[in-house]
Amino acid sequence: MTHELRQPGDDDPVVMTAEERSVWVYLAVVVITSTAYFAVVIPRAVSQPIEDVSWITPMLWVLGFSIAGTIVGSVVGSVSGAVGLAIRGINPEGQLEGDQRDKDIRRMGDQRAALAASSAMFVVLVLAMIGADLFWIGNTVFLAGTVGALLETITKIRAYRRGF
Amino acid sequence: MPPKPTKVTNRIRALRFESDEMTQADLAARLKVTRQTVIAIEQGKYSPSLEMAFEIARVFKRPLDDVFQYSAGGTDDQLSA
Repeated sequence: MTHELRQPGDDDPVVMTAEERSVWVYLAVVVITSTAYFAVVIPRAVSQPIEDVSWITPMLWVLGFSIAGTIVGSVVGSVSGAVGLAIRGINPEGQLEGDQRDKDIRRMGDQRAALAASSAMFVVLVLAMIGADLFWIGNTVFLAGTVGALLETITKIRAYRRGF
Repeated sequence: MPPKPTKVTNRIRALRFESDEMTQADLAARLKVTRQTVIAIEQGKYSPSLEMAFEIARVFKRPLDDVFQYSAGGTDDQLSA
């Protein structure tokens, strides 16, 4: 049975590549920031007229935190991955940087995100045509961004973990 | 989560064993990919590009179909019958 053939080194711990680690970081950031945003805005939308709801400032904060969190998280993740390998005495060469498989997975995820974005554009167009309040237009775009990011990251993680 | 089955199987693990017990890391370095990618290919979780498949066959100095096999619902014998 070929599956039982194991060479020295085959049992060494396998770490995530920097690309996969970034996907996990992005997923965590999207879940945390989107949950925080909707936790602030939805109670306001329920308790007061839509046109009076203050949503732009919370959204700007969330977008800022998302960008900063993704950058900082990816850097911290990459450094901790390299440190973790060094502590275990494993050569990090060839274990962290991305390759063709990462590019293929990135392309799959990007396609899902683009699908969500194009669907959102259609909905926003309809909202604009019927003269909907800017609250609905802005939040539809934000929701589509969240859904697109979730689809993208889950697609990528499935591909990394389950194969494709 | 069980790995997604692919129609492409391979003998990379056996060929590494026959090639002076080449490690996954050694093969990854020769292919300029990560060790994770070699593991994914060996486990059938990732079908490499045609170019990478030829590079793998070249590393082992074997024809492509000594390394990779494709079964679309049957064996080669069944397909040719």
